[in-house]
Amino acid sequence: MGTLFDATFFDTMIASVAVGSLYALIALGYTMVYGILKFINFAHSDVFVLGAWTAFTTTTALIAWTGLSAAGAPWWLGPIVLGVAMVVCGVTAFCIERFAYRPLRKAPRLNVLITAIGVSLLLQNFNQLPPAPGLARTATVSFPFGPTPKTMPELLPDVILNESIIATGTLGGGERRGQVLLDRAVTVLPGRTYRLDVTRQTEAGPVVARFNLNNPPVGEVQAGTPLVTQPLRPPAEMQGLAYVLVQVPAVTIRLVDVAIVGTAAVLMVGLLWLVFRTRLGAAMRAVSFSIENAALMGVNVNFVISFTFVLGACLAAAAGFLYPIKYPSLQQPASDVWVLLGLKAFVAAVVGGIGNIRGAVLGGFLIAFIEFFGETYLSATIGSGLQDIYVFTTLILVLLLRPAGLLGTPVREKV
Amino acid sequence: MSAIHELTQKNRPGVGLTVAHTAALVGLVLGTGAVMQWVVGPAAGIYPATILRQIGIVAIAAVSLNIVNGYTGQFSIGHAGFVAIGAYAGGAVSFYANSLGWVGAYDPAGLLTPGHAVMLAGAAIGAGAAGAAGYMVGLPSLRLRGDYLAIVTLGFGEIVRVLFQQTQSQVFDPQAARALPISGWWPPPLGGAQGFSSVIPYGELFWIYAALALTVVWCYRLKFSSSGRAFLSIREDEIAARAMGVNLTRYKVRAFVLAAALAGLGGAFYAHLNLAVQPKDAGFQKSFELIIIVVLGGLGSISGVLLAAFGLGGLTEWLRQPTSVWPAALVALALVGVVQAVRRDIDSRARGRAMGRALLVIGVLTGLFEGLRAFAAWQGFKLDDIRIVLYALALISVMLLRPQGLLGTSELWLVPGQLMRRKAKAAAAPSLRTAGPADPAAAPATGVGGMGGGVTEAGGDEGWP
Amino acid sequence: MSDHTQANHTADHAPGPQPGATDVARALLRAEGIGISFGGLKAVQGLSLAVPPGGLDGLIGPNGAGKTTAFNLLTGVYRAQTGSITLDGRRIDGLRPHQIAKAGMARTFQNIRLFGNLSVLDNVRLGAHVRGRHTLVGTLFRTPAYIAQERAILARARQLLGVFNLLSRADEPAKSLPYGDQRRLEIARALATEPKLLLLDEPAAGMNPQEKRDLARTIQRLRREFGVGVLLIEHDMGLVMDICERITVLDHGEVICHGVPAHVQNDPKVIEAYLGEPG
Repeated sequence: MGTLFDATFFDTMIASVAVGSLYALIALGYTMVYGILKFINFAHSDVFVLGAWTAFTTTTALIAWTGLSAAGAPWWLGPIVLGVAMVVCGVTAFCIERFAYRPLRKAPRLNVLITAIGVSLLLQNFNQLPPAPGLARTATVSFPFGPTPKTMPELLPDVILNESIIATGTLGGGERRGQVLLDRAVTVLPGRTYRLDVTRQTEAGPVVARFNLNNPPVGEVQAGTPLVTQPLRPPAEMQGLAYVLVQVPAVTIRLVDVAIVGTAAVLMVGLLWLVFRTRLGAAMRAVSFSIENAALMGVNVNFVISFTFVLGACLAAAAGFLYPIKYPSLQQPASDVWVLLGLKAFVAAVVGGIGNIRGAVLGGFLIAFIEFFGETYLSATIGSGLQDIYVFTTLILVLLLRPAGLLGTPVREKV
Repeated sequence: MSAIHELTQKNRPGVGLTVAHTAALVGLVLGTGAVMQWVVGPAAGIYPATILRQIGIVAIAAVSLNIVNGYTGQFSIGHAGFVAIGAYAGGAVSFYANSLGWVGAYDPAGLLTPGHAVMLAGAAIGAGAAGAAGYMVGLPSLRLRGDYLAIVTLGFGEIVRVLFQQTQSQVFDPQAARALPISGWWPPPLGGAQGFSSVIPYGELFWIYAALALTVVWCYRLKFSSSGRAFLSIREDEIAARAMGVNLTRYKVRAFVLAAALAGLGGAFYAHLNLAVQPKDAGFQKSFELIIIVVLGGLGSISGVLLAAFGLGGLTEWLRQPTSVWPAALVALALVGVVQAVRRDIDSRARGRAMGRALLVIGVLTGLFEGLRAFAAWQGFKLDDIRIVLYALALISVMLLRPQGLLGTSELWLVPGQLMRRKAKAAAAPSLRTAGPADPAAAPATGVGGMGGGVTEAGGDEGWP
Repeated sequence: MSDHTQANHTADHAPGPQPGATDVARALLRAEGIGISFGGLKAVQGLSLAVPPGGLDGLIGPNGAGKTTAFNLLTGVYRAQTGSITLDGRRIDGLRPHQIAKAGMARTFQNIRLFGNLSVLDNVRLGAHVRGRHTLVGTLFRTPAYIAQERAILARARQLLGVFNLLSRADEPAKSLPYGDQRRLEIARALATEPKLLLLDEPAAGMNPQEKRDLARTIQRLRREFGVGVLLIEHDMGLVMDICERITVLDHGEVICHGVPAHVQNDPKVIEAYLGEPG
């Protein structure tokens, strides 16, 4: 493994930050509702799953209906999908609050908890219902979403941001089995990864194919000398080829990760601004302090509570949209895998100190760090596939040692 | 010496009463098993008998969950974890006992073969293992309440699930099992992510219902005992319970251990009925199904939970081939009509209103269900597929309309008495309304001032300190 | 109130020292310099109390003076940060509430905390719980010891309900009782723990004058019949001055006066603390 701060470390770090920011987004929804109503909205993780589902369905539907190619989605598709997911989740959350939670606002906490579990079960199992034949418009769009695994279309090209082009090449040598000639001298270093991108002009536009170079000759490669031999192709495809030699960095920073962290950061900063700098945010904080007092001060409590639910749902929808962009091959049904992701975000909210907005963000990153670093560094000694155990053990430890969470304030029950 | 201690010493009965109670327990347990095995089972047929066995196991798990969630008012949503522990332990014991050649081949005709003895031992081990896990889960309950405890139990269920995924693969070959060195049994070969399969089918109606009867009788004894009152007092008001000398630690842990052990018992039978156990069986989905039963039946009610378990089990079967509900609705309406007609505590106007309400409720429910049935037929899906969705809706509706569930904390056999009392109270309503503490006329008779008479009466009593 | 034949075995009828001058050595409850602060707020500070066996003491003070907090400190709900508490010669500070109940201190609550869904009888039976041994094996297998103890608890609870004239409502849920009955049931439940000292937190709150007079007689009788000492928080000055032998006055978490009712009544500091408060 070499030094501590090697490539493995940074890869784990990047994955933790990306997934952590998603946990944080979901955890914010848990924590805001808890802050205001003092109860854990168990159904929130299912709203997140609904968001992922809606994102998937909208993407496939848009691609199917507009006849776009699944490979190269235009840039505006993402924001549209995100918006649709947010609207669907927001409306769902509004209905949940209005019809399931509001009538119970004065009921014992246990009743609300059971209702929340009921709502969670309802959403979870509704999402998994097989699509009703009469309701499904096309084969790609189904409602409900059904139990069969599906793969998210690629919304962002898989681009590594910090890779560098070290040479371009031309086709040399024979007619059918050409060789790649570089335009400048290149030093091939041992232990590094090199990739050859081959661009071919077709009628539909340029098509890029990527080849990882397995064991290229180490050492100096002069300009004009053949680097590798082009694989066998039909003669028609030998025309108009352009080669690019790319040195892949040891630690790759991918566009997906940057997009996820960037979107999440924008949303989180926006939320902080909303909560701490606007009138509405002041109303939210007032309701969180005391519903009765806020009502006396003229705050429209019902509106604020509904708004909080919708806001939390929008953040969860964003997470539900971003997660499959990073992990498109993750099976898409609202199965245990997805619900478990929501649960980990829930753990993050509790560990950070539920009811505390900064705590949710902290907890989100912390849980992701524990999950990824635990899996990377402890799998050799303890065993692999134990990340859930690390997460839930952390939860139990934090609750035992600091029941109010890391940033939460303990509440003393009045006797 | 305390008064209780003196009274206890004075009135100590002989062993006879305990023997009688124990004989009744054993008789009830074996009798229930026998009736199910030789009367109900054959009468019902093979497939319904299998369903009855499944329901019996679910009932064991639900009745045991009721100790924690119902009596003690803690909210565990990881109960399936205990069931799974019992299932793995019980299944593994009888599977490996068989492949190690300790017991003979499975004999479908026998009810008490050596294999059954091993199965029962496995059930006891499963209950013990689950109880030990219950102890560990019970400890955090000392510091955590409500939602927080719920999360920890949820986390526990997930941890159990992942741990079972991490076990070694099952050793199917008897030769290999016999050749396995001691060190080969750790981590235990429980099948990993594939789950543990090929368990021997010892889960007959007799044993499952004997176990259910034992669980029910024990839960009954517990509920109506000092320990049971301690559980209930914790649910009602932890602070007051503590101030009255209830050791919260002891009773919360006791509730968890007992509930977990009984769930483990049920789990062992689950392994012998289902013949396979998956890590998924420990997941929260399974726990939620148990919670639905307990909440619908009434948190704290043994008979209510039993009713809910059998009712939902029957409903699930019925949803596979749903028939029209009109006849049942008419019967229900007729029953309500009869009950309303013989009630004496209300006048004809109120009777009319009650009938109207019943008509509305039954009508709406029937209409909704018939509509759903028609919709399902049109859309070509089976109601059976959406049963959890329906149950979830039922759970939310119960919380909104009747949060105490079917029976609340009461029991079926106590309901008539409570209704009678309500009737008496309604009859005496005019005087009761004014007989509060603010009524000076009533105060000397029923208020604080009436105490003098009470003291005089009690003063002559034996055992007065 | 005519039958006094059984009152002779209780402690407070023995000729004791002058009220107000508690013999500290034989105090039933002795608190010395107990205090607690929440955050920066000193809720109770340097509180010292001494209740003799079978004594009837009052703890008064304006709203927010720290009276209930003092009770919570004595019963172990909060852990005293300073000072020591002794009950019947045994240190109880640092013990948990159920241990303190077992040691012989029982209480009622300002806002009644009955087990509302349990029957009246079960509420009292739960009180008697602390004096028994309750094993799981005994419960599940109904051993002779278990049966005897359940019978004893039942008999004892019925007896107490008889004393408080609640026997006719024994099977009703406690929450269905009228307010005054609930207050008395709470006292009955506390007595079922067989306490040496009973802490009553505003027992007369919400009662009319007639009921208050009845309550005063009840409290006097409790001491005689059960031999318990009583420490009372009360806002009704008339009641406190009538029945209490010694009174401690708290204000802002500190003792501002201590002594016999006549002394307290005339203390200028007390009058100042209560100025504007309806007496």
